[in-house]
Amino acid sequence: MSIEYANLCSVVVKQVFGETVQIVADCLFCAVSRTLPAILKKTNLSRKEVSTALAVLIKYQLVVFAPCATNPFLAEYSLKREEIFYILRYPSYVQLIHSKYGPVGAAIAEELLHTGPQTATNVLLKCIANSEIKEKIETYRENFLAMVSDNYLIRLPQLISAEEDPVPKLQTDAYQYFAPPDINLHFISEVQAGKEKVEKAADAGIYWHANFSRFHQDFRDTVMIGAIERKLGTSASECFKYILKQMYERTDPWQKDCSNPFTFAEIKQTIEKKSNNLDLIKHLDQYVSLIADDPLRFIRKIGEMGGGQYVVDLNHAFEELTLSWFGSVITERYGSKASRIFRIIHMKKYIEQEELQKEAMIPAREAKLLSYYLFQDQFIQIKTIRKAGGGGTGPAKAFFLFHFKPRQSVRMILNICYKALYNTIERSNFEKSEHKRLIEKSQKLDSIVATMKERGESAEYIEEILETLTPPEREILEKVKTRIKTLSKAELTIDDSIFLLQMYLHHSKVETSLTTKDKK
Amino acid sequence: MAANDISHEILAIIQGVPAGATNDDLVKGLPDVPAQARLEGLNKLLQQGTIELLKKGDKLIYRAKDPKKSALPKDADNEEKIIYGIIEEGGNKGIWIRDIRLQSNLNMTQLNKILKNLETKKLIKAVKSVNASKKKVYMLYNLEPDRSVTGGAWYQDQDFEAEFVDVLNQQCLRFLQLTRENAEKKREGPLALKRLSCCTVKEVHKFISDLGISKVHLDEDDLETILKTVVYDGSAERIMMPDGSYVYRAVNSPLAAPGLVQMPCGICPVIRNCSKCGDVTPNKCVYMTDWLD
Repeated sequence: MSIEYANLCSVVVKQVFGETVQIVADCLFCAVSRTLPAILKKTNLSRKEVSTALAVLIKYQLVVFAPCATNPFLAEYSLKREEIFYILRYPSYVQLIHSKYGPVGAAIAEELLHTGPQTATNVLLKCIANSEIKEKIETYRENFLAMVSDNYLIRLPQLISAEEDPVPKLQTDAYQYFAPPDINLHFISEVQAGKEKVEKAADAGIYWHANFSRFHQDFRDTVMIGAIERKLGTSASECFKYILKQMYERTDPWQKDCSNPFTFAEIKQTIEKKSNNLDLIKHLDQYVSLIADDPLRFIRKIGEMGGGQYVVDLNHAFEELTLSWFGSVITERYGSKASRIFRIIHMKKYIEQEELQKEAMIPAREAKLLSYYLFQDQFIQIKTIRKAGGGGTGPAKAFFLFHFKPRQSVRMILNICYKALYNTIERSNFEKSEHKRLIEKSQKLDSIVATMKERGESAEYIEEILETLTPPEREILEKVKTRIKTLSKAELTIDDSIFLLQMYLHHSKVETSLTTKDKK
Repeated sequence: MAANDISHEILAIIQGVPAGATNDDLVKGLPDVPAQARLEGLNKLLQQGTIELLKKGDKLIYRAKDPKKSALPKDADNEEKIIYGIIEEGGNKGIWIRDIRLQSNLNMTQLNKILKNLETKKLIKAVKSVNASKKKVYMLYNLEPDRSVTGGAWYQDQDFEAEFVDVLNQQCLRFLQLTRENAEKKREGPLALKRLSCCTVKEVHKFISDLGISKVHLDEDDLETILKTVVYDGSAERIMMPDGSYVYRAVNSPLAAPGLVQMPCGICPVIRNCSKCGDVTPNKCVYMTDWLD
C-alpha cells in the first residue's frame, strides 16, 4: 500500500461518509489494527463520535473486529484496505447487474450497495417503497434469489456468540454462503400494510451483501473476451466465452497460475447445445487451435485426451495484456518510437544501447534520448555488469543492459493511476466548492419550481422565478456541470486500467506477502 | 647512356621475375656490371617509379610495377608515393590515419600535409565511418567504399536515413494489411484466414521492388530488418515456420486505448511532483484546466 493509495482511500471515505469517518479511517489505515482507546487517543475525537464512525465502517464491511490477543475483553479493529477502493466501482457493479437482470436487479443491487448489508425482506421492502418501477413483489423476489444462486450476493457471517461474551463472534459455514433465504411474500405484504414488524421476519439476522469477487470475475472475463474479439474476431470470442464457462465448472476463479484442464470434447458439447453461431460450430476445432496458438497465450494445449486437453493460462494472459497496455501508454506519452524501443527491450530480455539502436532502426541520438527517458520514468531498468578494472590499467569497464521488470513497473504505474484518480476526485471537489454559491442557488431554484409546479402555479410565475438565474450564471453552471461529468467519466476509465493492473499483480507468478492473502 | 642501358637491363630482369628480384638475382643476370652502376640504375628506376622496393625478412626485393596501376604523377615526392602505396593497400575498406602513420613512420604534421596534398590532387578521399563518426578512413579516389564503412542501404552519405526507413515501414505494414484483408474476403474459416494472411519475406520484397520507391538496392536481409521493426511496433507478429524461416502477418492490438492516458495525468511530465500541497496540485493544474474546457 503506497501513499497514493492511502490518499485515495482517505478522499473516497470522506466523499461517501464524511469527515469524522475519514479521520477514524485514516487512523486505522496506517496500523494493522487498533483498539478503541488507541483510536480515541490518536484522533482526539469524542468517544461517541468514534463509536459511530466505527459502527458505520463495520456496517459497510470496511472494518472487521476481533478480540485482542492480549486482552480478550477488548476488541481490535482493522481496516479492510482493498474494500475501500471498491466503493469507487459501485456504479460499474450496478451497471453489470442491470445488463444481466434488468432494472429490477439493478434496483436491488443499488439498494444493497448504498445502504449496506441488510436482510432479504428488508431489501425487498425498501425497493418496492423506493422504486418507480411498478413491478410485482414476486419479480423482485425471483430476481433476488437468482442473484443469490449466481453468487452475486453473499451471506454475511452470523452472530453465534452468547450474550456474556464481551466481543461478539461472527461466523459462517462455507456451504451456507449462498443458501437462499426464506422470503415470505405474505409477510412482506403485511409489513407494507403496517400490521407486522420487519424484525419478526423469518429470515431476520441473515444479512446479504454484494459479492465483490464475483463481480470482479465478470469484469475479468469481459476484459479477456474483449481482447480476443479485437484480435481474432467475434466467433473466436464466443468460443472463448464457452471455454471460460467450462473452466469455471472445475476451477476456482481466483486460482493463480492456470486453470484446471478441460477437454475439447466438453467444449464441443456445450457449444453445440447452446450456440447459434454456425460458423463457430463448423470450424470449432480450428478456432480452438487458433486461440491456443496465438501469441496472446490465453489457452495452452497440454495433452491429447478427449480430442485435445487445454488449460486457460491466466498468468500469461494478463502478462500479455499488461504488456500491450504498457505499449499503448508509452506510445501516448513519448511517441511510437519509444514504444518500439520498449518492445525490443522486452523481447530481447537484456540489450545494450548500441544494439538497441541497430534493432530499432532509429537514429542513434533519438534512440538514446528515448531510452533514457524511459529509464528515468522507471518503465525500464538498467542492469550493470562490471568487469574488474583492466589489469590495473585504466578504469573498470562496465556494461549497461536495459531490461524490463514487469512487477516493478506495474507497481509504479499503478501508483500513478491511483494518483490520477485522486486528482480527479480532488479537482471535482474543488470545482464544486469554487462554484458552491451558484450550485446552491440553482438547487434552491429547482426545488422552488418543483413545489410551485405541484401547487399548480401559472407558467408565467415559474418563468419569472427561473429568470433570477441570469444567463452568464447559467453558462458558468453548465460549464461546471460538463467539467464534473468529464471528471467522473475519467474516473471510470482509469478504474478500468487499475483493474487490469491489479489482475496482473494477482495472477503473476512471484508470490509476495501481499498476494498470499486472498484479497478478492 | 650507359646508365640508361643498365637500368633497362635491370628492369628487364626484374620484370622477368614477377615475385620480385633480389640483389643476388641482379648480380647473376648482369655479371659484368659493377655494383656502383647497378645502384645508379636501380635508383633511376625507383625514381621513375617503374619498380618498387620491398623488404622480405632481411633481403631487399625489387619488383616491377604495373604501369597502369601507378597513377601517381611523376612530380610527387617520395613520401607521397609511400603514403599513396599504403592507402592503396587499404583497398575498399580504407585505412585509418593512425595506421598510415605507423606504417610510414612519418610524423603527424608532415603526414597531414601530404594527405591534404593528395586529396586536393583528387588521388585519395576521406570517408567517414558510420560506426564511429569521428573516425575517418582514407582510400583511393575512385574506389567504392565497403558496406561495413558506409552502413549499407540505410545510410546515405553517412547519415542515417530515418525517413527512408519510416516510409519502408509504412509500406510493409500496408502490404501486410492488404494481404490480411484479401484473406478475410475469402471466408474459408479461421485457420485458412490465418495462413493466407501470412507473408514471407520474399513476397514483401517483390512488392517493395515493384513499388520502386527505393533508389538503393534492397535485398531480403534489409527487408527482414524492416519487418522486424514493424513487429516491434506491435502492428505485426512474427511466426516461425517449420523450416526455420519466419512469416509475418498484421495484427490488431488486443486492448483499446488505455484509460489512464485519456486524462492529462497519464501524460503529465510532472506527475511525480503532484500532490495536495505545493506548486503542482490538481486544483491548479494547467493541463487539467485545458482538458476540461
